[in-house]
Amino acid sequence: MKREAITVRNLCYAYPDGTIALEDVNMAVYEGERVAIVGPNGAGKTTFLLHLNGILRGCDGQVEVFGKSVGEVKKEEIIKDVGIVFQDPDDQLFMPTIFDDLAFGPINLGLKEEEVRERVKKALLTLGLSSYENRCPHHLSYGEKKKASLAAVMSMEPRILVLDEPTANLDPRSRAELIGIIKELNEREGITIIIATHDVNAIPELVDRVYVLNKRVIAEGTSHKIFSDVEVLRENNLEVPEVFKLFEVLRCFGYNCEELPLSIDEAVEHLTRTVEINGGHLHLHIHEHTHEAVRKLKSKYEHHLSNLRMKEEGAQTNGTKRSG
Amino acid sequence: MIEYPEIDRYASLDSPMHRFDPRAKIIAFLFLIFSIVIIPELKIVIIGLFFAIFLLILSRIPLSFVLGHLKWVALFVLSLYVMLAFTFPGKEIAKFYFLSITAEGLYTGSLITLRAFSAVILIFPMIGTMRFDTMIKALDKLKVPNILVQMLMFTYRYIFVFMDEFQRIGTAMRSRGFKLRTTLYALRTIGKAMGMLFVRSYERAERVYRAMHSRGYTGNPKTLVEFEIRRRDYILAVSIIGFAVSLHIISFFLP
Ligand SMILES: Nc1ncnc2c1ncn2[C@@H]1O[C@H](COP(=O)(O)OP(=O)(O)O)[C@@H](O)[C@H]1O
Ligand SMILES: [Mg+2]
Repeated sequence: MKREAITVRNLCYAYPDGTIALEDVNMAVYEGERVAIVGPNGAGKTTFLLHLNGILRGCDGQVEVFGKSVGEVKKEEIIKDVGIVFQDPDDQLFMPTIFDDLAFGPINLGLKEEEVRERVKKALLTLGLSSYENRCPHHLSYGEKKKASLAAVMSMEPRILVLDEPTANLDPRSRAELIGIIKELNEREGITIIIATHDVNAIPELVDRVYVLNKRVIAEGTSHKIFSDVEVLRENNLEVPEVFKLFEVLRCFGYNCEELPLSIDEAVEHLTRTVEINGGHLHLHIHEHTHEAVRKLKSKYEHHLSNLRMKEEGAQTNGTKRSG
Repeated sequence: MIEYPEIDRYASLDSPMHRFDPRAKIIAFLFLIFSIVIIPELKIVIIGLFFAIFLLILSRIPLSFVLGHLKWVALFVLSLYVMLAFTFPGKEIAKFYFLSITAEGLYTGSLITLRAFSAVILIFPMIGTMRFDTMIKALDKLKVPNILVQMLMFTYRYIFVFMDEFQRIGTAMRSRGFKLRTTLYALRTIGKAMGMLFVRSYERAERVYRAMHSRGYTGNPKTLVEFEIRRRDYILAVSIIGFAVSLHIISFFLP
């Protein structure tokens, strides 16, 4: 068993205005792992991430980073290990130029000038930003800013990389690029990755394990386990990847599979296997239950809408009652 | 598009002023500006003004750009000129009804106006010939108090973000039919929008602080710069300062 990179025990947090954001959160992330934290808006994901390097300190709960308890050791100890990439790159890039921003962390770590320059160069190279060194953040596109904020954290060479909604608001190309970079950092350099995200289509290829957070940890497991748990999904307003839905539809048409694929890669593998077993064909047909099954399936995934509809109907009946 | 306040738009040109070491440039120009604004002799101020224009031309910053900015200064300074001309006590040379123009008023007005123009013109070859962030770093190297340097740094970084934010609020209001008029309703709405901007700024400040904290901010961020002062810079700085001093020497010996 690998050792624990992050251990969170009984963490709770309430904002000064009384909003309870976290209640009794427990979590363990192992070294070299990629973990996603999913949950609806306002579930406390950002709040949770802010605890990982001690920016926020919850009530008697505990956060440990490689066995060191946040709050008990020096701040720099933790910051060196845990790099957080915040959601809005305009918050993250606060220095006048990209170079200054990338140098900010290493300088604060007390590194020598040569080493700072070395690290900046390396981080720029990793993210393909070498020609951006002297640019000002406000002249960059959103995608470039996002990459630059990741670079600004990477220059500190953290062992744990924490990202808040890294793929939000990105165009498809920047999104794919960023996902690739994150995976590479994990695979090549063994950096532990923790991602808070809404982007369900990115989860299967990006992470090994998923935590569903909604003030408390609602569920934990592999992507397959989480996306098969209709109850949890419904109650937390979560979606499933489109590929997964498609294969559920195929199943109604007689496609035979136990574990449904969640990503394109898995789908290719799955189809290849099925076709090979069936002697070079894929057999689909419409049987007596197909239409019924498809209808059920659709209503299963329209839970967002059906919730809304129920509320509306509720409001209407109330209205008529009052007027009647 | 909104117009960003870009004093350093022409920082990437090449000229003797652009090549001037930022620290030496700031010191030399500040010295010159302060000497010109305290010259008591109109004639000498005119020499100073010509020197300022000379340095401006040397910097190759387009005149149209400078004039565009000078417009606003002119509006302010000229109104001051008119006021002084009419109110300064002294020998009366013309009279409009009960208002009179005095020679002393004209003299003082011209003196102040030309001093102001010289100073503002000098700002361009000084600040406009380097990137703003370079200037901030130069100030830091010149041991300007760190808190001031940080304030400049964050202002420079976030003024654009706030302007974008303000524009977004404005667009959202206009796209829902809001028109800027001088009715109470319009003013109240603008007030609310400003309040909104403040709240957002406050929240952003909090988030930025968190990001800084996450990267080990300890109160005085340092930056790495490669400034190299050469003989040429010394010569240029000494010439400019020498010129400033000689202006005062001349005005001292003037009858
Ligand atoms: N600075 C704050 N003050 C008070 N309440 C806050 C603050 N920031 C967030 N909250 C509240 O805490 C809850 C969790 O927010 P957040 O962690 O941002 O959720 P998420 O990132 O999952 O969308 C929300 O109900 C939010 O309104
Ligand atoms: Mg969030």
